[in-house]
Amino acid sequence: MIRKTSAFIATTLLVASMAACSSSSTPNAPSSSGPAVDDKVTVGVIAILDVAPIYLGRDKGIFHKHGIELTMQQAQGGAAIVPAVVSGQYQFGFSNVVSLLLAKSQNVPIKAVANGNNSTGSTSADFGGLFVKDPNIKSPKDLVGKKVATNTLKNIVDTTVKAIVAKDGGDASKVNFVELAFPNMAPALDAGNVDAIFVVEPFLSAAKAKGWKQIGSYADVDPNLCVALYFTSTQLMTQKPDLVKRFTDAMKESLAYAQAHPDEARAELTTYTTIKADDTKNLILPKWPGDIDKTSIDKLAGLAVTYGLLTSKPDLTTLLP
Amino acid sequence: MTQAIAKGRTGAPPVLLGAAGLVAFVGLFEVLPRVGILPEAYFPTASTIGRTMATLVTESSFWVSFGETVQTWALGLAIAVAAGIVLGVVIGTVPVLRAATASTIEFLRPIPSVALIPLVIVLVGTDMESTLILVVYASFWQMLIQVLYGVADVDPVARETALSYRLGPWDRIRYLVFPTALPYALTGVRLAASVALILAVTGELVIGSPGLGHDIETANSSNSIPRVYALIVVTGLIGLAANLVARAVERYALAWHPSVRADVPA
Repeated sequence: MIRKTSAFIATTLLVASMAACSSSSTPNAPSSSGPAVDDKVTVGVIAILDVAPIYLGRDKGIFHKHGIELTMQQAQGGAAIVPAVVSGQYQFGFSNVVSLLLAKSQNVPIKAVANGNNSTGSTSADFGGLFVKDPNIKSPKDLVGKKVATNTLKNIVDTTVKAIVAKDGGDASKVNFVELAFPNMAPALDAGNVDAIFVVEPFLSAAKAKGWKQIGSYADVDPNLCVALYFTSTQLMTQKPDLVKRFTDAMKESLAYAQAHPDEARAELTTYTTIKADDTKNLILPKWPGDIDKTSIDKLAGLAVTYGLLTSKPDLTTLLP
Repeated sequence: MTQAIAKGRTGAPPVLLGAAGLVAFVGLFEVLPRVGILPEAYFPTASTIGRTMATLVTESSFWVSFGETVQTWALGLAIAVAAGIVLGVVIGTVPVLRAATASTIEFLRPIPSVALIPLVIVLVGTDMESTLILVVYASFWQMLIQVLYGVADVDPVARETALSYRLGPWDRIRYLVFPTALPYALTGVRLAASVALILAVTGELVIGSPGLGHDIETANSSNSIPRVYALIVVTGLIGLAANLVARAVERYALAWHPSVRADVPA
């Protein structure tokens, strides 16, 4: 149930800000003046490949070096993470870019602090891709009038699929979307309930193993497409700028480490997912650049407006650092 | 005698029949994926699930999650049962309170606990406490309603008699309300126990608070399908155990009651 529904965030926004106001005492991070004791920090993540760098960074002592003691809380998606960060239960969170853009457009007080993960840039070997079973569907524009599975409606996956179809010359508005969790997509395609699925690893490897044809990927939107970011609340940003800066620095270092040591990143997966060690060898890992790719986020924001997720393009400077 | 009747009707003791049913079910789950009626990729065979369970029970992290789920369930149930009994007896014995709270209870009771998930995430977070709130909320009503009905079911003649004999409030609760409401309350406990487990696993699954539900979700996100099934079977076994315990308690505590006694017509 990996859901990042904007509607959910909208309904919880009011309560979230109320909770944030009422709990005026800051989250459980002790304000340490010296580096002797690490600041205790809780980060809301999703148990997927994308967050391997933060686990690796913790286990390699990178966060400790920056005076941060990390606790990871596995949540079921941005819908649970965003309100928890805003109300201060988590100090930082991990969420996809479109969810963050949607939250920001509803004035949810959040701010991105570090890069999450990006497309590999290879349209044939990316960590998220569009698959079809029917041999008559030869290219993305053939999906016009067909049913495509997306993990969440009006979010990053269907926006990506629409962009892929439009790029191929099809009318993106005529693609029908069905909301299905990633784990349920392959069975749905198998049973013929949908005509195409957009899956991410480890389901992408499984789709490939089935011999299904890949007709698109995140890289089709932008070769450097920024898929997700780490973020914090604007409250923590103003109250503990030093802690936020140390988190950003540690995150950058962790991303660079994971990018440089893919084998260690693969091994790390077995510590927080149940993917078998053998299976991790064949997975396509995302790219983990240290810096946020603003160009691709700008492009996503534009697409979000084109496809009606947002009424106007948000001012990205309020979201990005 | 009842057993003799059951035996005469079916030809075999119920325990054997139950075991045969279970074996048939497991066998079906072994055969259907094997012959391809169910796709094996999504419906692992019973033996695969069994093997996965065998490895599962060797992992310490599994037992941690197991303990977390059982703890959330037991704690939630205990709170709900205690609160349900106390409030049920108080509200049930004071007619004014009963009338004043009836509409509120009828309004709050049907709210599905899961609808409160967004609220508890925001107010409490994603720890065990938020799932606990769901568990207590859902199972409390089961308990309260049963106790309310139990208290209301006191035989009017017995009540009049107690009044004639000038039994005090405490004695009336002990000798009049308690025996009348006990069968209702124990049914409430049994119902609340299964509802509490449903909500414990649901909370972990949806909120992500630690426990077996969360492990199911993690296994699902990792495409570890046999593991998902194995964990589901484990939650089912917990439910089964909970029900068996509740029934045993019921039989023991109500040994005097006509519904349990075999020698008097119920």
